[in-house]
Amino acid sequence: MENLMKDKIEQLVDYIMKNCLWQFHSRAWDRKDQNEGVLTKTRQLLCGEHVVLETPTDRCHWVDAVCLAEVFRERYAWLNEMDKDEIVGLMQGLRERMDYLTITGSLNQELTDQRY
Amino acid sequence: MPHHMFKCSECIPERKKHAVIKGEGEDLTSCLPLGYLSTIPGSISERGCAYCGAKHVIGTPMKDVIHLSHGPIGCTYDTWQTKRYISDNDNFQLKYTFATDMKEKHVIFGAEKLLKQTILDAFKAFPKIKRMTIYQTCASALIGDDLEAVAQDVMEELPDVDIFICNSPGFGGPSQSGGHHKINIAWIKQKVGTLEPKITGDYVINYVGEYNIQGDQEVMQDYFKRMGIQILSTFTGNGSYDDLRCMHRAHLNVLECARSAEYICNELRKKYGTPRLDIDGYGFEALSSSLRKVAMFFGIEDRAKVIIEEETARWKPELDWYKERLRGKKVCLWPGGSKLWHWAHAIHAEMGVEVVSVYTKFGHQGDMEKGIARCEAGALAIDDPNELESLEAMETLQPDVIFTGKRPGEVAKKIRVPYLNAHAYHNGPYKGYEGWVRFARDIYNAVYSPLQRLAFLDISKDEIPTDKGFVTRRMLSDASLSEDVANAPGLRQYTGNYDSVSPLREKTYPPFERPSPVEAA
Repeated sequence: MENLMKDKIEQLVDYIMKNCLWQFHSRAWDRKDQNEGVLTKTRQLLCGEHVVLETPTDRCHWVDAVCLAEVFRERYAWLNEMDKDEIVGLMQGLRERMDYLTITGSLNQELTDQRY
Repeated sequence: MPHHMFKCSECIPERKKHAVIKGEGEDLTSCLPLGYLSTIPGSISERGCAYCGAKHVIGTPMKDVIHLSHGPIGCTYDTWQTKRYISDNDNFQLKYTFATDMKEKHVIFGAEKLLKQTILDAFKAFPKIKRMTIYQTCASALIGDDLEAVAQDVMEELPDVDIFICNSPGFGGPSQSGGHHKINIAWIKQKVGTLEPKITGDYVINYVGEYNIQGDQEVMQDYFKRMGIQILSTFTGNGSYDDLRCMHRAHLNVLECARSAEYICNELRKKYGTPRLDIDGYGFEALSSSLRKVAMFFGIEDRAKVIIEEETARWKPELDWYKERLRGKKVCLWPGGSKLWHWAHAIHAEMGVEVVSVYTKFGHQGDMEKGIARCEAGALAIDDPNELESLEAMETLQPDVIFTGKRPGEVAKKIRVPYLNAHAYHNGPYKGYEGWVRFARDIYNAVYSPLQRLAFLDISKDEIPTDKGFVTRRMLSDASLSEDVANAPGLRQYTGNYDSVSPLREKTYPPFERPSPVEAA
């Protein structure tokens, strides 16, 4: 079961890595904000929850999330068979994996440079 | 870590950490070369300097500006007619290049007087141009000439002119990327916020990191205008100096080349709260998604959908014609910086080619992260390659074509590998739907060039067939295709015009009804 979930997460990671740019801002704190902003809103959209759009940055995260949620639904049929709790678990796993690949496990030595 | 050591670089062991092969199951936590470091002594780099990055890449595409290098005349190399960032004002910035032509005597006695006189002469020679950028070079930086003071002096004498100072000498960074950073920061510090724009619409963007290579900016501008979006400024291709002083008033920064221009977006975000949206203008899927996102930000997604449907219907059959013929062809994607990630996945997914190697001359590790993430397993990724490494990689990988700059491209030709100009394009623009088809056509023409085949014959030793007539590209490309694919109904070769940009300059755009205050709120 755990392996199945891992496999599903890797499919989503592969899509993001090959098609998106929002996860690759140049500093660790920026990537953290981006991952949180886009993936939280993607989860909310997939779960049919209300998405808060108070700031221009919220809107930027939201447009990426709308495209992502739409593609996930189209490409990965198994997602449409998941209930809300399962989607929450999946997206939590995805968030952790993206944080690892782009921030905590990243070999990019510039991520912690204080200046842009 | 799957580092790769080139045989030719065994005498420079430090080079090992600058190349990796993406193995099956590898990810960015185990597979990333070093990047944005000073070139290792002994390695003959293909990089440009920080002055080159500031002036030739970012500064000079500004169209209504006298671009003056304060230094020896040799520093202006590459400015005159060798770059292809065109503009809609008769290419003023390409036609004329200016330098103070510093000599040894100026190094000894100073060159501020020479600079002032050159500025006055330049404004006098081009009385309609009232804006200037002065670029410091290694020589003028080392002797300590005060460019700001001279410019201030001139601006007091000539109150209708405005001058921007770019202090980015060649030694100001490991590569041209250091210059990108410096001019970004200098522009926002000196010029942004010094002029107020005329806002003509409800949706206002800065288009950032776009250099109008062979008309890219004008293609994208057409889409934005068709959506009723005002481009307040373009940083910097086809961009106007005064428009760029108004960047602070945009609602959104749409960022194309994050490598060269994320700095100003980040500063605008910090100083003025303007958000940054990264987009991809290359490839049908990425471009469609990008247009949708920008439109969605403003709540006008329906306008983007009209463009996407119209353009896809017009150009997709032509892209697919080339895809059928390029499938499986091996490509080395060796640009300067951002195109390694803009193109790596898009050319694989939409043109069917296999990217066997990516490299970057001046990219940072962040660019390699994006590039490697977008490559398939087996790709060789190289940071700051030298010429011998490039040759060794081509001999090992046997690519069908490489995409790179004109200098390494000529090296490739010598070993009979065709190349396309990744920086300035062959027959661009390559952005936009039609542009992407033009790129596919250029790849097709390079891969199946009959002339290229003949180049493999050595008349001093090979037997030259005399019983065969000439062949065409089509004869070569369709030889291995099934009848169904070769003559697939609906697919066709590129049918656009030689010049796809000039007509855009004549185009008019119907106004959209502006939202009522209630709707806007």
